[in-house]
Amino acid sequence: MNNPMDRGAVSRRTVLAGMAAAAAAGTLPGRSLAQDAPTLQWWDHFQPIAPLFEEEWKTDTAVTVKHQVMNPSDMMQSLQLAFRSQQMPDVFSVPAPLAVVDQVAGAGWFGPPEGGFTLDKPFQKEALFEGLTNFGGKVYSFPLFTFRWHSTSLWYDKAKVERAGIDPAKGPQGWDDIRKVAKSATTGGAYGLLLPLQFTDRMQAHLNDLAQMAGAAGPIDWKTGKYDYASEHYVETLKMLLSLQKDGTLHPASSSMDARQGRIRWAAGEAAMFFDGPWNSGVMAGGMKDALAKTWVTPTPITSDNGHVHAGPLPGTFWISAQSKLNKQATELLNLFTTDEFYIKLAERMDQPPLSLDAVAQANVDPTYKAVIASYKDSVRLAPEPVIRNPDIGKVYAEMRTIDPSLGAIIQGAFSGAFDDPGPVLQQYSDQMSAERDRAIGVINSKGGKVSVDDWVFDNWSPDKDFTPDLYKR
Amino acid sequence: MTAAVAAKRQPTFAQRLWGDRWVYLFMLPTVLLVATYTLWPMLASIWFSLLDWSGFEQSGSFIGLGNYAELLHNRLFWNAFANTLIFMVVAVPIRVGLALFLALVLNAGLPFSRAFRTAIFLPVVTTAAILGVVMRFVLDPASGPLNEALLGLHLIDQPINFLGRAGLALYSAIGVWVWKWTGITVIYWTAALQTIPADLYDAARIDGADRWQRFVHVTLPLLTPFTIIITLITVVEATNVFDLMLTLTNGGPFYSSEVIDIFVYRNAFAANVPRLGYASAAALFFGVCVMVLAALQMAIVARMRRRTVEQ
Repeated sequence: MNNPMDRGAVSRRTVLAGMAAAAAAGTLPGRSLAQDAPTLQWWDHFQPIAPLFEEEWKTDTAVTVKHQVMNPSDMMQSLQLAFRSQQMPDVFSVPAPLAVVDQVAGAGWFGPPEGGFTLDKPFQKEALFEGLTNFGGKVYSFPLFTFRWHSTSLWYDKAKVERAGIDPAKGPQGWDDIRKVAKSATTGGAYGLLLPLQFTDRMQAHLNDLAQMAGAAGPIDWKTGKYDYASEHYVETLKMLLSLQKDGTLHPASSSMDARQGRIRWAAGEAAMFFDGPWNSGVMAGGMKDALAKTWVTPTPITSDNGHVHAGPLPGTFWISAQSKLNKQATELLNLFTTDEFYIKLAERMDQPPLSLDAVAQANVDPTYKAVIASYKDSVRLAPEPVIRNPDIGKVYAEMRTIDPSLGAIIQGAFSGAFDDPGPVLQQYSDQMSAERDRAIGVINSKGGKVSVDDWVFDNWSPDKDFTPDLYKR
Repeated sequence: MTAAVAAKRQPTFAQRLWGDRWVYLFMLPTVLLVATYTLWPMLASIWFSLLDWSGFEQSGSFIGLGNYAELLHNRLFWNAFANTLIFMVVAVPIRVGLALFLALVLNAGLPFSRAFRTAIFLPVVTTAAILGVVMRFVLDPASGPLNEALLGLHLIDQPINFLGRAGLALYSAIGVWVWKWTGITVIYWTAALQTIPADLYDAARIDGADRWQRFVHVTLPLLTPFTIIITLITVVEATNVFDLMLTLTNGGPFYSSEVIDIFVYRNAFAANVPRLGYASAAALFFGVCVMVLAALQMAIVARMRRRTVEQ
């Protein structure tokens, strides 16, 4: 008779058999358990689209990705420390201007992908440039997003625009309309326009975009190679923005708000209008759906005969670290981001538009996003980038020191009453930028570089046309 | 012979070291921590200040005193220097004086004095960075409670943009800083007041001294040593306002409230191309200036005390 206690017990033989089976399973070839896969470190600053990346990585079982999304301003500090202590993430983004990309490339931060990227479509090949994505003829990275966007569309409350006697389907067109809506909307504790004046980089982008919509060449006039900040269009645009403050229609808390805080207070009804980029659709769809339903957008609020926003070609979005021991796996992960399906999914996040703008038409997105992106085909033009013509210019960018007060700080100063007439201050800024560029050229040439101010002159540039790669060859 | 015996009995350095081994052993953690987190960063800062270094490379290039020379010609550095001095000159007397007044009132045995003391001390225990964010809402010109109150009391016609006007932001920040830290100074003064013997007040009262005379001729002279220490502590604290200023104004608008801490941070970390060497030079230069100021303050106080003793 068996002991009843033994009925549920496991015999020694069973335990040994089970252990052997488990050991065999662990050694089977081709068996890829998650805990066996190497862990790849990935740092970037793309908070809104992080879930999309993580979803894509799940299809690659050869590697486990440890994803860290960081604040752009903190990220460069973390990357510096990581580089110096040999602890760089395997893949990372560089949330900084081209000057920094060139500098860190020169310092040996980037490694070329093992096996290369799958970039066989024409628009993908056209986005690759020496000094931006390629170094020494090798492709190191590629842009995930298109250059064809700007951050200064005018988002507005349809009802308030209609109350001002303007068709809400078209929105304010030009400064007269904007002032008219602003005056009409300034009532009962609400204001006409809200500007994120504390976010000086964004204000700089707004002034650059609005001045170019009005006809300015851009920060640099590519016909002459000179800085254009003191041009009539820049000065007038800043004065028009200031006129809203004089009218009393600018939200008074603008001075202490950045873009995020500003967007929230504008969406809450504290102001009728707000300048923002295409990502505003995505942010509002995420947490302000009610406000989005009442919102429409003028993609290009200032119209003129020859006004276009000029954007240079973009550097790579993600880089593989030269210190990485998982280069091959990193390359495979990055190749997941080069497919048409991925571009559509990226468009559906309604953030910065994907490299393929056609993907937006196929994507399920809010009509405001579709309208803004569609307008870029007419309003944004590809600007020349001197570093493509002369790689030594990358070294000049790296040598150039920041001029303070920056353009963004000057805008902030004009609104805070630090000076009355912005014209001379913009002229001084323009002169300081020219002098600093001359100094940096001198330093680079003294170290054997070959750079001239003429490298910034593109005779064949036309403000209303894209400066395509073939034009560099002329 | 005696000298020879004494010399023989004198322990060697190694013997003394071994004899006091437990003292050194217990001191070791502190010495290591101070060396790692105070001494080494100070020495490293001195070295960094002689480099042109963005931090993107493993090391910078040696440029001698180039950073210091550039600093002396930087308008924005002197602007930050001046703002720090203004902060110190305006904020320190207000905080020290206001705290003394509050301590005297609370020390007078009024009802609810404990509750008031707690209320005054509460801002001290709140985090400065959080306070900066909260005060931005409090001082908001559109819907901030302070402007609402001033408008409601008909003291102003239009809301005041406390943090958005270039001429006002620094003084608004000073107001917030004084409000936050006065509580701790009240505690210092309260402790100081309790060291004054009650007999002296009784004697003065018998001599016919009124409240003001007792304050001027008894309280103030006996508080002099405390005044020196409290002022020195407050001066040093007024040069370390980074967290509050960063969250409250970020040095703006247009550098009008940029103090040295923010200038250093902006150049070292917030710039597109950081300048670690330049920022280190600015921090060191200002640090030396504060040390000179503190030494001067101590020298003047010592001289005043000597004069008082001589009289």
